[in-house]
Amino acid sequence: MKILGIETSCDETAAAVVEDGTTVHSSVVASQLATHAKYGGVVPELASREHLRAIVPVVRLALEEAGAGFEDLVAIAVTEGPGLVGSLLVGITYAKSLCLARDLPLIGVNHIEGHIHAVILQAGASIEYPALALVVSGGHTHLFEVREGFTYRLLGKTRDDAAGEAFDKVAKLLGFGYPGGPIIDQLAPHGDPHAVKFTLARMKGNTLDFSFSGLKTAVLRWVEQRDLTSEIEARRRSQATSAEDFLPLTPQPTLDLLASFQHTVIAELLRRAVRSIEEIGARSFIISGGVASNTGLRIAAREAGLACPVYFPTPALSTDNAAMIAAAAFPKLHAGHFDDFSLRAQANLALA
Amino acid sequence: MKSRIYHTESEDETVALGEKLATELPTTAVVLLIGQLGAGKTTLAKGIVKGLGAAAPDDVSSPTFTLIHEYTPSVYHIDLYRLDTAAQVATLGLEEIFDRRAVVLIEWGERFPELMPAERVDIRLTGTGECSREIEVQWIQSSPPCKVAPVRNRNEFRAALRSSTLPH
Repeated sequence: MKILGIETSCDETAAAVVEDGTTVHSSVVASQLATHAKYGGVVPELASREHLRAIVPVVRLALEEAGAGFEDLVAIAVTEGPGLVGSLLVGITYAKSLCLARDLPLIGVNHIEGHIHAVILQAGASIEYPALALVVSGGHTHLFEVREGFTYRLLGKTRDDAAGEAFDKVAKLLGFGYPGGPIIDQLAPHGDPHAVKFTLARMKGNTLDFSFSGLKTAVLRWVEQRDLTSEIEARRRSQATSAEDFLPLTPQPTLDLLASFQHTVIAELLRRAVRSIEEIGARSFIISGGVASNTGLRIAAREAGLACPVYFPTPALSTDNAAMIAAAAFPKLHAGHFDDFSLRAQANLALA
Repeated sequence: MKSRIYHTESEDETVALGEKLATELPTTAVVLLIGQLGAGKTTLAKGIVKGLGAAAPDDVSSPTFTLIHEYTPSVYHIDLYRLDTAAQVATLGLEEIFDRRAVVLIEWGERFPELMPAERVDIRLTGTGECSREIEVQWIQSSPPCKVAPVRNRNEFRAALRSSTLPH
C-alpha cells in the first residue's frame, strides 16, 4: 500500500511515496535537487509562489522515482498545519485536486506529528510505548508523550526562541552566516565546552518548558564585552561556507564560546528529556527535527545513560520532507480517518 | 508625531508595558518592534498579544523561522529577521495582512521601509542594563499634522468661529 505525501508548510516543497509506513520509495525536496532546472531554475523558499512553481514537478518526480502511478496509490497525505497559510494552501489545494481527479482518499497530517513519524518510519517495531518525543528544529522545540496508537500529550515547549533558531542566530552574530547551526556543530569539537559558563534557564510555571532567548542574549553580551569586530568582519567578508574554511578564521576563545554554547543548549534539551522520561515512564526516546542532525546532541543523548533507548532519524529525514508526512498517514489510513474537501490550512494547528 | 518613552526593569515589566500599550492600539494597527537581538522585542510582543486577549505570554514564541504567527482574534506576529531582500518579503503578502482588521506586530520590519505602511506605531527597544530597557513608542501619521490647534471646549470653539478660521 503506497501513500503519496505532500509537504509545503514552510520553506520546502516536498513530495514522497512511502509503502506500508516503512519503505521510502522516493523523497523529493525541491531545494535539495541537484539540478534546479528540473522545475524552472529557482530555489524555492518560503513563498507560496515558489511552492506553486515547484509543486507539480516535485510530485511528478516523486512518483517517477518511486516507479509509481496514481493507480498504485491508496491515499494522498498532505500537511494541514502548523505553518504559513499561503504555503500550506498550495500543498492542500494540489492534494485535493489530485484526490478529486483520481478518486483517492485525502489524509491531513500535522507537520509536527510528521517529524515524530520520520523516526518511527525507520525504527518501526523497535520503538516501545509510551515514548518521549523531542521535536527540535529552527521553528519548534516541543516535548510530547507519545502513547500506543499515536495519541499525544504536550509536556513542554519553548516560550521564546526554538533551539535551532538560537543556533542560527548565534552563528549569524559571530559572522558564520545564516543559517549557521551546522557550522557551530562542526566547530564545537575544537573548543572547550566548559570554558564559558552559561546559566541554565530557570522556568516559572511548567518547568518542562524551554527558553533559549536568554542564552542567545548571554552570547551577545560575551561578544560585546570583547572586541571581536575584526574577526567577525573577517569571517563575514570571507567566502567561507564550510567549517574547515571557518576554522582558521576562528580564534580559540571563539571556538570555546561555540563549544560552551552548544554544550548548554544540549544540556537544556537533555535535562528536560531525562525528567520527562522518568515522569511518563518512557520506554523509548525519539529525537527529531533539524537539530536532531546535531552530532553533539546525538553523542550526548547516547552517553547520557538514559533509562530507555534513543532513536534519531537519518539526516535526510531530520529536516522538512514529505516521507514523514506519508508515514504519519498510515495509522490514520488503518483507522479509516480520512479528510474531506473541507480540509483547510491551519497556521497554529496544535498536536496536543 | 506623538512619542513617549518608558523604562522597564525586568522581563515581567516589559510584558506588563506591552499589555498596557495593547489597550491604546486601534483595532487596525501596524506596530514595528525595533531593537537589536535580545532587546526584548518578542517579550514586548508577549505583553501586547496578552493585552489584546489573543494568547497567554508563554504561548507567544519567536516567529523567526516560521515568519508569521497568527493569534485569534486578529493579531499577527511577524519576524523578517531571516529574509534578505524586499522581493522575499513581498512574497509574504504583507499588504493583505495590513488590510485586515488586525493588530500586526513586525520584528525587523525597519529593514524594509518601502514595504511598511506610512501610518504605524514604531516601538524602539534599547538595553540599558542586564534586564532594564528603554522603550520609545512613536505614533506615526501618514497625513501631515493639523495646523489648526485642536479645539478643547465650547469657548474656544466660539472664539474659533469668530476668528473665521473655520469654513462657514
